[in-house]
Amino acid sequence: MAIDSHKIIHAIVEGSKIRDEKGIIPMFGVYLSVYFTSYYNIISFDFLSKMGKRRALEAEKLLIHAAQECGYTTFHGIRRSWEWEELVQPMLETIDDQIQGFLSVATAFGWGGEMEVIELIPGNRLHFRVYESYESAGYLKRRGIAGSGKCFMLRGVAAAFMDLIYGDAYPDGCFTFSAAEPFCRAKGDTFCEFIAEKSSP
Amino acid sequence: MFIDWQDKLKRVGNRLMFFDIPIAMHCHHYNINLQKLHEDILGMEGVRLIYNAAEESNYTAFKIMLAEYPMIRSHKSKLEFAASIYQHCGLGVINFQEVGPDGGMIISPSSHHVTGWLAKHGLRKTPGCHFTRGWIAGVLEVIYHLPIGYFEIRELNCKMMRHAVCQFDVQLNRGKHGH
Repeated sequence: MAIDSHKIIHAIVEGSKIRDEKGIIPMFGVYLSVYFTSYYNIISFDFLSKMGKRRALEAEKLLIHAAQECGYTTFHGIRRSWEWEELVQPMLETIDDQIQGFLSVATAFGWGGEMEVIELIPGNRLHFRVYESYESAGYLKRRGIAGSGKCFMLRGVAAAFMDLIYGDAYPDGCFTFSAAEPFCRAKGDTFCEFIAEKSSP
Repeated sequence: MFIDWQDKLKRVGNRLMFFDIPIAMHCHHYNINLQKLHEDILGMEGVRLIYNAAEESNYTAFKIMLAEYPMIRSHKSKLEFAASIYQHCGLGVINFQEVGPDGGMIISPSSHHVTGWLAKHGLRKTPGCHFTRGWIAGVLEVIYHLPIGYFEIRELNCKMMRHAVCQFDVQLNRGKHGH
């Protein structure tokens, strides 16, 4: 059975409308919040500015690692949740199908619109394209054209997907992979692309 | 007044929108990771950055949301509208009990950030609701037609420190606006 992304996206958008009496959204084994992308863009890009040019690479690495650790924990919770078991698991024929399932969840979360797998070499390499990353849109709006990729959250998450599927068993597999962003809309490209490969030792 | 909240959170094309403003869903792991990163690396400057980001983003968005309902006229109704938005965003429960253009006190008995922080890191020694402080400032500045930065919100008690509720003190930002 092929992965029905629309079904996953619809179920998440509808499910995320459920609040408990404390105003919390418990879903997929995590607590979700729904908030404006402008907030996330301000705290990421202002963090870069505060760190200064001299520490720019360190700042980017910190933002990517924060997202990778989060993506690793969150999507581990997601694939163990009853929602995943009922909704997504029946569509999975191979372990590689999980990637498509993860990308559908990321789309439903509003992280980047349509996401398309370009190439998956099991255990080695994931290459996918994102058409409307909110990070790239936010960078362009606030800062103009960038000299390098600015989708730090999606870079971390791309690597986390591979960590979860092809790294050591949870919780020992995080940071097995790392991701690059060769194309980014913030640089003037028409889409963003991410390539996750094994991290250098 | 009836507000169709179900209709306000929707997909438009491939984007997720709330009141036609782009939003993203994130889990407590990411929100708390970002907070801890800012606190650990930048210290008080990082705390201020979170506060300012929440204030600015909410100031802009709440203006748009409020403009959609011109029949919400009184300050009290606007505060209730803001509290409903907080809850519908999964951010928690907030009670604007005694607040006005000259300041006041606000209580939050539960929040996404408190639940998330306690789940990931346990109790804190200092108040930790920087996001909520900024969020409150943005809302109040819109409701009372004041510029960004007019209010300064301090957190007197915080559930991340085992207090019963989070309690916020609203004051005028004396340095910034010359009060």
